[in-house]
Amino acid sequence: MADKKNKPFISYKLSAALVCYSIVIIPVALLGLFTYLPVFWAFQKSFFEFEIGGVSRFVGLSHYVEYFTTDPTTYISLANMAFFTFFAVAVRLSLPLIVAKLIHSIHSERWRHFYRILFLVPIVVPGVAVMLIWGGMIYSSQGFINEFLRLIGLGDLACGWLTNPGTALIAVAMVGFPFIGGFEVLIYYAGLSGIPESVNEAALLEGCVGIRKFFLIDIPMVLSQLKLILILTVIAGVQGFEGLIILTGGGPGYRTSVPGLMMYFNAFSFQRFGYACAVGVFLFALIFTLTIINFKYFKSAEEVQATN
Amino acid sequence: MIFRKIFKYTSLAFVLSLGTYLMWPVPEKGYVSADTDENISSTCTPVDVKYNIRFVPGGYYFPGIAPAGIGKPNKGFYEVVAAYEKLHPDTKITFCDAMARREYLVTQLSSSKAPDILNVNVEDVWPDIQKHWYAPLDDYLDAPNPYIPSGQPGSVQWWDMFKFQAISRGKLAPNGKMYCISYDMIETAIYYNKDIFKKVGVGIPKDWDEYEETMTKIREAGYIPIQTVVGIYADWGIDLFLDQLYYNILPGIDLVKDPVREKYLQGYLDWDEVCFLFKKGFFTRYDLRYRELWKLIKRFRDFSNKDIATEDMIRAFVRGDAAMIWTANLVSYRFDADKDIDFEWDVFYLPKFTTNTSKYAAGVPMCVIGGSGAQFEISNSAFSDTGDPKTSERIKRIVDFMQFITVPDQYRKVINERPLLIPNIKGVKTLPLLKPFEEILQRRYTTTKWTYTFDLKFTDILQRMLLLYLDEYISLDEWIEWQEKNLEGAYVRYTRKKHPDFEAMEKEWQRLAPIRKDYIDMPIIPKGEN
Repeated sequence: MADKKNKPFISYKLSAALVCYSIVIIPVALLGLFTYLPVFWAFQKSFFEFEIGGVSRFVGLSHYVEYFTTDPTTYISLANMAFFTFFAVAVRLSLPLIVAKLIHSIHSERWRHFYRILFLVPIVVPGVAVMLIWGGMIYSSQGFINEFLRLIGLGDLACGWLTNPGTALIAVAMVGFPFIGGFEVLIYYAGLSGIPESVNEAALLEGCVGIRKFFLIDIPMVLSQLKLILILTVIAGVQGFEGLIILTGGGPGYRTSVPGLMMYFNAFSFQRFGYACAVGVFLFALIFTLTIINFKYFKSAEEVQATN
Repeated sequence: MIFRKIFKYTSLAFVLSLGTYLMWPVPEKGYVSADTDENISSTCTPVDVKYNIRFVPGGYYFPGIAPAGIGKPNKGFYEVVAAYEKLHPDTKITFCDAMARREYLVTQLSSSKAPDILNVNVEDVWPDIQKHWYAPLDDYLDAPNPYIPSGQPGSVQWWDMFKFQAISRGKLAPNGKMYCISYDMIETAIYYNKDIFKKVGVGIPKDWDEYEETMTKIREAGYIPIQTVVGIYADWGIDLFLDQLYYNILPGIDLVKDPVREKYLQGYLDWDEVCFLFKKGFFTRYDLRYRELWKLIKRFRDFSNKDIATEDMIRAFVRGDAAMIWTANLVSYRFDADKDIDFEWDVFYLPKFTTNTSKYAAGVPMCVIGGSGAQFEISNSAFSDTGDPKTSERIKRIVDFMQFITVPDQYRKVINERPLLIPNIKGVKTLPLLKPFEEILQRRYTTTKWTYTFDLKFTDILQRMLLLYLDEYISLDEWIEWQEKNLEGAYVRYTRKKHPDFEAMEKEWQRLAPIRKDYIDMPIIPKGEN
């Protein structure tokens, strides 16, 4: 009887759970309000002809039909996006990994630390500033690269890299060259540092050293990091357009335009918010699909080990 | 240790102080009261003020600044506003600098925070008229200007005060209403270097064939014949060339006749008509005139500077490397003041096409596509007192102020402060430097306006892709295919928004069929393609 009396109204387990849920509910609510709600709102608005201050009119799937059938900019921008994404994936999965491996191979801890800092510093430079600096470097007549070409007697090669339709796409893709300054180096470095010493020793005993070890031991052991960078690079490649606004505005013509940029222009320059929402929903679906593919078919080191 | 701590906290305090200082809100810079000029004092005190009107006079007229950094700062509007405030002590005019960018307009207008009188290209206003962000001015324009004595232009209708009726009335929005006052006029011409012309032994061309010969000779002499930028072709070029090639067939394709505007804009092809004609095969690959139009534009571009995308087109002309430049009359003011220009220059207008230029040419003088440098619109802030422009008292005072600034005696103080823009008010003389442009403006107004005709997306695609065609990155066929798709998209968006009366146009189209019988190369869409 006394036991029954002292028994709390709710159990300790439940009360602990309630406390946890009540703490979590605030960030979840904020996440829902500021992240998920706009997504649903954009999805809903994509079926409407909608402008700020204007009257919303239901148009059904016509924005999606227009995007895939009549909008002449769609497939060019999708092709450009694919190019930028593949290019970014190729360089961000390879070059920073090589640099990370080189740093990791340095014996002196002090120098390793120095190089880690050196390769990390570019992160603090704002992306817009990087774009502007690059824009200035490859600017048509007075840019550093053209001036340099003239100086070494290759003046004929000098051109408006960003305004020439033949070179604009590659000129934009090359922004950030040599693609080794950034957090990718750090992540790969962390992955390489995480390889157990026993594995390294075993490899050494087996005579697996140098490039062979890099391909057969190191790369499989940093697959988790590669997977992370791959997903982030693909997402950035599909979503990104800020740099293009600064550098080319998607031009000349639509040679450097991407769907994200067209979404921005449709919303803020052409006053077609409903249409821009449709483009946004398509991009969301695309990223979602690519991420699922990534998760399903690109295995991390742990998953590889588990299968073996 | 203690020094380290002191350094640590001092630097932290410094960074925080600097951040606070940088983020501290500054007083709004763009707003300048009319009575800031020491010589002119406002007569009203803040207590008396019932109407505080915020007015964007635009860069050419903004008091206190010298356009292009030449001459003394403007004071015309200070004087005009001081006179108005004296007349209406309950009104205060505040000059305001506002960007004409769409992003700015959309955010300001959607929150009813925009200045009362804006200065924006009216084409940028059109996409937003159904949102009631701007007030139509037709009722006021049809009524007398109260400041005009009886018997003078403007005493019956405010409209009558405007010199260039066709261009001013051509700014009509697609809903048939007028949202702007064309305060002044701006016109283009070919500026030419007289010394180069003399050296090469050429004169002012009488027709387009002679003009092409002239440019060929100039090029052979080692000069760039003409300086242009891509925007010129996308805006002025297409309108002028199309008029030359379609003028002969206008009687058979002009399907809608606006009872008021037809008097001033004979044969003008409205947006609805362009849509209808597009579905009849005009402005597509089946329209040979349309092909000809782009061929001729390309031929003209070939005489121009290499980089029409980014180059400062004035520089080569001023240096004496280029013989001509196609631009608006604003540069006359700059050239006139530029002591470094060591050659004589003058202007002429583009010559007409002949049947030698094209078999479609009508042989009529080239029309004009001029517009207004300052186009004043009344924003939704003006009727914020009631939310309805019909019942608002505030908007009446704002329109009254606009009527006041168009009174010749007041207008003269502003427009003729410097020879930048051409007066659009009767009774106000044009300054000598701008006389040639006033003469050009007497010509017939263009048949169509392509840039901004449908929507901003159409214009964007037109401008971007035209550069690729003119610079030979895409062929003529590819370019026409692009334009066809562009027009198709614009057609869908436009008809969905406006629902034009195509039935009435079809009837008129059938009625005009006998007239079209004699026309050559009318577009025929193959069966199954329309």
